[in-house]
Amino acid sequence: MFFQHLLNGITIGGGYALIALGYTLVYGVLKLINFAHGEIYMIGAYLGFILISLVPALPPAVQANTMLVILAVLLLAALLCALYGYYLEKICYRSLRGAPKLTPLISALGASLFLQNFVMITMGARDRVFPPVITNTAYTVGPVTFTFLQVVIISSSIILMAGLSWFINQTRLGTAIRAVSTDPYMASLLGINVDAIISVTFMAGSFLAACAGVLIGIYYGSINFTLGYLGGIKAFTAAVLGGIGNCTGAMLGGFLLGVIEALGGGYFSTEYKDVYAFFILIAVLVFRPAGLLGKKGGERA
Amino acid sequence: MKKVLAVLVAGLMAVACTKQGGGGDLIKIGVAGPLTGENAAFGQDQLNGVRLAVEEWNAKGGIGGKKIAIVEGDDQRDPKQAVTAANKLVNDGVIGVIGHFNSNCSIPASAVYNKAGIPQISHGSTNPKLTEQNFDTVFRVCGRDDQQGKVAADYVSGTLKLKKVAVLHDKTTYGQGLADEFKKALGSTVQVVAYEGLTTGEKDYSPVVTKIKSLAPELVFFGGVYSEGGLLAKQFRAVGVTVPFMGGDGIMSDEFIKIAGPASEGAFATFGPDTKGAPAAKGFNDSYRKKYGEPGVYSVYAYDAANILLQSLQKAGSDKKKLLEAIRAIDYSGALGKVQFDAKGDVKVSPYVVWKVEGGSYRQVK
Amino acid sequence: MPENGLLRGPLFSYLGLILIFLPFLRERVWLVLPIMLGGRLLHWGADRISASLALQTWREKAVRRAGRNAFAISLALFAVAALIPFFSSGYVTDILTSVVLYSILATALNITVGLSGILVLGFIGFYAVGAYTTALLTAKFALCGFWLALPLSGAAALACGVVLGAPALRLKGDYLAIVTLGFGEIVRIFANNLDSFTGGPNGILGIPRPAIMGWQLASPVAFYLFVLTCLGVTLLIVTRIIGSRYGRAWIAVRENEMAAAAIGIDVFRKHLLSFALSAFFGGIAGSLFAVKQGFISPDSFTFFESVLVLCMVVLGGIGNPAGAVAGAFLLVAVPEMLRDFQLYRMLVFGGVMVAFMVFRPNGIMGSLTFALEVDDSRDEREGLP
Repeated sequence: MFFQHLLNGITIGGGYALIALGYTLVYGVLKLINFAHGEIYMIGAYLGFILISLVPALPPAVQANTMLVILAVLLLAALLCALYGYYLEKICYRSLRGAPKLTPLISALGASLFLQNFVMITMGARDRVFPPVITNTAYTVGPVTFTFLQVVIISSSIILMAGLSWFINQTRLGTAIRAVSTDPYMASLLGINVDAIISVTFMAGSFLAACAGVLIGIYYGSINFTLGYLGGIKAFTAAVLGGIGNCTGAMLGGFLLGVIEALGGGYFSTEYKDVYAFFILIAVLVFRPAGLLGKKGGERA
Repeated sequence: MKKVLAVLVAGLMAVACTKQGGGGDLIKIGVAGPLTGENAAFGQDQLNGVRLAVEEWNAKGGIGGKKIAIVEGDDQRDPKQAVTAANKLVNDGVIGVIGHFNSNCSIPASAVYNKAGIPQISHGSTNPKLTEQNFDTVFRVCGRDDQQGKVAADYVSGTLKLKKVAVLHDKTTYGQGLADEFKKALGSTVQVVAYEGLTTGEKDYSPVVTKIKSLAPELVFFGGVYSEGGLLAKQFRAVGVTVPFMGGDGIMSDEFIKIAGPASEGAFATFGPDTKGAPAAKGFNDSYRKKYGEPGVYSVYAYDAANILLQSLQKAGSDKKKLLEAIRAIDYSGALGKVQFDAKGDVKVSPYVVWKVEGGSYRQVK
Repeated sequence: MPENGLLRGPLFSYLGLILIFLPFLRERVWLVLPIMLGGRLLHWGADRISASLALQTWREKAVRRAGRNAFAISLALFAVAALIPFFSSGYVTDILTSVVLYSILATALNITVGLSGILVLGFIGFYAVGAYTTALLTAKFALCGFWLALPLSGAAALACGVVLGAPALRLKGDYLAIVTLGFGEIVRIFANNLDSFTGGPNGILGIPRPAIMGWQLASPVAFYLFVLTCLGVTLLIVTRIIGSRYGRAWIAVRENEMAAAAIGIDVFRKHLLSFALSAFFGGIAGSLFAVKQGFISPDSFTFFESVLVLCMVVLGGIGNPAGAVAGAFLLVAVPEMLRDFQLYRMLVFGGVMVAFMVFRPNGIMGSLTFALEVDDSRDEREGLP
C-alpha cells in the first residue's frame, strides 16, 4: 500500500512540478506571481486535445507510430501555448512594470477569467474526452500496480525538468535569464534585452505548463475549462513549498506535494487531503521562512 | 456645492428610472440554473428544453393572445448567486420559474419565490429538503434522493444480493445527500466498508481508489455527477478493480460513458424510466434534436416543467393563488408520461428505475 | 507606467459611452448613468478625501478644509445611498445590500493590504469564521441573539487572526500570502467536512434576522439601511485609525520597514495589530452576510471570493477607504449589469478588469500615496527598464 501511494503521489507530483516551474521562473525575473498561469496550463491541455483530435486525419503509416504522434502533439501544443504566454505577458504585465505591486495581480486575474470563459464559449462547458491514443496496460510488480501512462508521465516530467536545468544553466539565454533574475538593472547595462528575456521566461513557463496539460489530459482522459483553477493553486503551493524563485525547489515542492496528498488521502481521510498539504506548507514555512530551498531571509515583498 | 447638488439630482433621476414597466403584452417565465460555470452543460440543456416548450406555445399563438418570453437567471451553481438571480427574476415580473438545477441553489432560492408567491418547478433538484420546507410554491418533476437511494439500495441487496459495498460522494448537497440516503436504505444486511467524500474538480482520485481496492468491496456506489463519476470508474478499472460501479441520476449521462470509456461497461445508475425511446417523448426528441442537437437527460424534465407551468397558466389566468392551485391540481401527460403533484409538491409516482451500461450505452434493466 | 493621458482622465465617460450604445444595455441606462456621473464625482471626491488624509504638516490647513468637505461629500453620498431603495425595486436593494457588505469586507482587507502592505489571499477565511459563528450561535444552537453574536463573530475572527498572524507575520511577502491562502482553504474544507457541526455542504439554514427594540429587520429595505449604517461606522473607525498614530506607523512600516524599525516602531506588533483589526471587521461582515442570506454554506467562501475582495481593494485604489467602496460597487454591480450578456458575462468582465489595470494602474480612486512612495516607485522603474 505504502509504495502504491508513493507512486501515485509521484505521478501527480510530476504534473504539479511542471506547472510550479512556470510560477517560479516568472517569479525569478519579475518578482511577481503570475496568477493566470493555471489557465495557461488549461489552454495547453485544450491545445493538446485539439491536436490529438486531428490525428485520425493523418496517413495510417504515421498514425501507427503512437509514441511519435504523441511527442509531436506534445511539442506542437507546447509551442503554441508558449505564444499564449508571450501575449499574456505583453498585454497584462508589460505596461504595468512600474505600477503598484498588486496591480499586475488584478490584471492577471482578469486575464484568467477571460481565458477560462473564452475556452468555455469556444470549446463548450462539457468535459472533453481525449481519444484513447495509447492502450494503457497495467503492470503489477510485487505490491505495486502501475500503468504504462504513469511511466510516461513520470519519465517525461523528469526529462523536461532536466531539459529546463540545462537550458537555465548551460545556454546563453539561460545565463541571461539568471542575470535578469539577479539584477535586472545591471543586466540591462550589460546589453541584455530585459524585455525579450522576460518574454522568453514566460514562454518557457507556458511551454512546461502545456506539457503538463497534455500529459495530464492523456493520463486522465478528460479535461474541462475549470482545470486551471485547482491545478494553479496546487502548483503555486508547490512552488512556495520548495522556495519560490528556485527551480530545483519547485520540482521538489511539486513531488512533495503530490506525495503528501497521496499519503494523507490514502491513510487518513480523502476529505481533508488539501488540509494536510496546507498544514505541512505552513509548518515548513514557520521553520524555513523561505521554503525548503529558498534563500535565507526570503524575498522582500 | 452646486456640483454636488447637480450630481445628487442626476443620481435620483437615474434611480427613478429603475422602476421598469410591467412588460406590456409579454408573459415572462424564468429559467434559473447553472447557465455558466462548472455545471454550464446542465444549465444549457435545461434552457434549451424550456426554449423548445416556449417556442411551441408561441407558435400556437401564446396564451390569451400574449407571447411568452424567457428571462434567464444564471446561478453558476453558487447558492449566493442563486438568491440574487431569484430576486432578479421576481423583480422582472416572471409568473413562474423553471429551476434551479442544483439542490444547493434550489433550496435557498425557494424562499425568495415563496415570499413573492410565484411557483418554482425544479426539473432536477432531488434533495428531499427542497419540498420538506412546507412552501406551497415549490414543485418538482423529478424524484427525490430518498426514493432514489431506496431503489438503488434495494437493487444492491435484493437483486444483486451483495454483502460489501463502498460508498463515495462528491461533498455536495446533492451527492452527499444521495450517498447518505443510499447508505441509510441499505440497512444492516449490507456492510459499508468505506464512506468517503471527494473534491469536485479534481482529476486524481488515486489515494481513495488504492484504499478501496484493498478493502475489496463488491460494488462501489458514488453520489455525484458524471465528471467525477467517469474519472472514478476509469481509475478503478485501471488498477484492476472490476466490481460494478453504481450512481444516481448524476451519472446518468452519455458523458459518463465517454469519460469512463470501456470502464463504464456494467455500471448501474438510477434514473427515471426511458424517455428517449418512449413514444410519448418522440415529438420532443425529434424537435429538440433538430434545433439543439442531442438532448441532455434533464432537457425533457425542463421541457415538461415549462409545459406544466404554461398549461396551468392558460387554465388559471395570471392570479398567483389560482395559478398555484392549478399546478397542484394538474393532471398532466407529456413527454415524461403522467405527472401529478402531492401536497408537498413532489410527483405522486416515484419515477426511479435502474439502468445499466451495456455495449456502450445505458439500458433500462428494472 | 504607461502614459495614457488621453485615456486616463475621462475613462469612465468612455466606458459609459461604449456601454450605452450596446443595445441590451439601453434599457438599463440607470446603471450606466451612475457610473458616468459617479465616476466623475468619485474622482473629485477621492482627491478631496485622499487630500484630507494626507499627513504632511505643511498641508495641514488645506487638509482640514478638505477634510470638512470630504465629510460633507461622504454624508451626501450616504444620504443618496440610503434613499435609493425607496425609489427602486427589491432587486436593486438586494444588489445594493451586497455592495455594502462587500464594501465592509473590502474596507477591512484594506487595513492589511493597503495600509500595512501585507498581501492576504485567504481573507474570506475570516469572513467565513464570522458567518459560521453567527449561524451556530443564533440558528444551530440558538444560544443567543444577533446582537451578542455580532461582536462574538468579530471576536472569533480576531482570535483566528491573532493565532494565524502570530507565527505567519514573521514571514515575508508572498510566503505570508500563501499561508493566508492556506488558512482560507482550511476553514472552508473544515466547514465542508464537519457535518454534524457546520452542516457540511448543506450549510446552516434558518438564520434569523435581527430585531431592533422589538422591530424585526425583516424587510430588505430596513436591513439595507442597517448594513449601510454598519458600513458608515466601519468607515468612520477606519479613517480615524488611519489618521491616528497607529495608522501613520502602519504606513511608515509599509513604506520602509527597516527605517520604521530604526525609529523604534515594533514592526511585528504593528503588523499583528492591523491583521487582527482587519480580521475583526472581516468577521463582522461575515456575521452580517449570514443574517442577510438566512443560510450559509461553504460554497460562499471559496478562494475566488478572497480574490474578488482583493480585486475590490486594488481596483478601487490601494489604501484608500473610498476606493474600497468604489471597488465593491464596481465588482458587484458591473457583473449584474452584464447579466444580459449571458454567456459572455464573465468574459467581458475579465477583459474589463485587465483594461482597467492597464489604463488605470493606481485604481479608480487612486492610491493613498505619499511623496516618499512616488520616489520609491521611480527607483523600481529604473531598476526594470
